[in-house]
Amino acid sequence: MLELSPALAEYSDFFFEGFRNTLILAVGGMIGALVIGVIGATLRVWGGPFLSPVGTAYVEFFRNTPLLVQLSFCAVLFAPRNLNITANPIIVGILGLAIYTGSYVTEAIRSGILSVDARQVEAARSLGLSQIATLRFVVLPQAIRTVIPPLGNIAIALTKNTAIVGAIAANELLKVAGVIETRTASFDGYIAALIAFWCLTIPLAFVVSRIERRLKFAR
Amino acid sequence: MTTVRIGRFTLGQTAIGRLGVVIVAAALMTAGVLSGALPARRWEPFFQATTWTFLGEGLIVTLVVGGIALIGSLAISVPLGMARTELRGPLGWLVTAWIELVRATPILAILVIVFLGVPRLGLRLEALQAATVGLIIYNSAVLAEIVRAGIASIPKGEVEAARSLGLGYTSTMRFVVLPQAVARMTPAIVSQLITLIKDTSLAFILGAQELVGYGRSFFNFYGNSMETYVVIAVIFFLICYPLSRLSRRLEARQPPTDRVVVTGEPDQLTTATP
Repeated sequence: MLELSPALAEYSDFFFEGFRNTLILAVGGMIGALVIGVIGATLRVWGGPFLSPVGTAYVEFFRNTPLLVQLSFCAVLFAPRNLNITANPIIVGILGLAIYTGSYVTEAIRSGILSVDARQVEAARSLGLSQIATLRFVVLPQAIRTVIPPLGNIAIALTKNTAIVGAIAANELLKVAGVIETRTASFDGYIAALIAFWCLTIPLAFVVSRIERRLKFAR
Repeated sequence: MTTVRIGRFTLGQTAIGRLGVVIVAAALMTAGVLSGALPARRWEPFFQATTWTFLGEGLIVTLVVGGIALIGSLAISVPLGMARTELRGPLGWLVTAWIELVRATPILAILVIVFLGVPRLGLRLEALQAATVGLIIYNSAVLAEIVRAGIASIPKGEVEAARSLGLGYTSTMRFVVLPQAVARMTPAIVSQLITLIKDTSLAFILGAQELVGYGRSFFNFYGNSMETYVVIAVIFFLICYPLSRLSRRLEARQPPTDRVVVTGEPDQLTTATP
């Protein structure tokens, strides 16, 4: 297929490197966001008067500021002259995406847990189930059903947001397309990048809407 | 603790919550200054009035771009969403395909393609104009989907009743469907406005001078990049946070079954608790 365009044929390895990096960013970012989300939701729901405001502050601040600003901040913060964590833009990108997306995941998991009626918890507790058992057998099985559709939506948005990581010099799809455009003056890189993004986001959106519909009727 | 306590404290609901946030923020700042990671002298430029007039100019650009993009995409989204609902056949597929493809595209890709692609067609575009056009293209598609979902949320019986009472299509829409649909759509639209305002920062990647661009010129002069990014983030937060509160409040007013949500836009995630 790539033979259709001389520019793409010349830079095909580079293009696929971009595609690979986009996948790494999306998957890595989502895993990180899930870890942060579980911690954040735990803080918000069971953190008590001192820790739950920390969770709330994290969610509200990172949801309501642009990803570009957060990524640029992370790039400077993690750079060798400051915290000396890494200058690798892919790793900075994964961390930045995870921190940003983690705020949405926190909120999704929290509202999933809260969607379970408090009276069910009280009933389970008075039947003699321990707190852990209540969580394991009563709250989480129901919460997971509520959480999955929003998590799917978050994953779609995250996949699209990987394009912004190009701004901190990570070679993801859009950045790669830009480099091909400057080197060969051909627009084909952008068209291929668009199609590549669609190959990721459209099936994901299809699956999410199917799950949404199924869970809606299952309720 | 004998009971499982569930979300008793959320920001804004209790004074303790707000106080806690302020204390945490202050502690982080103090720790930053004391540890030397954020030296106090790099914060000093922010105590000068000229700093704020400078960043204010950038903020005005951001707000103007956001405002134009909002008005433009709202204006396009209503007919687009109605066409998505009503049109059948090839024309309907075309509208559906357009909306779905645009929504499946990263907004930055749309911005870049408008910025680099339109001049190839022989039309000159400044970075800021290209960004505004790109924002309108993306957000009009999302808002059209919100309009479609809003119209679809009105029971069919009401439309049929209006039609059998002799109202035409336009009158049915104008007096029966849209007034109710708009009320249901408003929380989703406000949430989308948050996404839009955050996305105006992407104009910077095209080389436009908006808030982030002004911030960059600023820290190139003073050498305080981290501090400037924090300040820019706080400015965005002060605009977006009230909007998210507003959206939640509007949403809490309506029954959960009336909620209009569009796939793939996490800013519309409901935060209302049962």
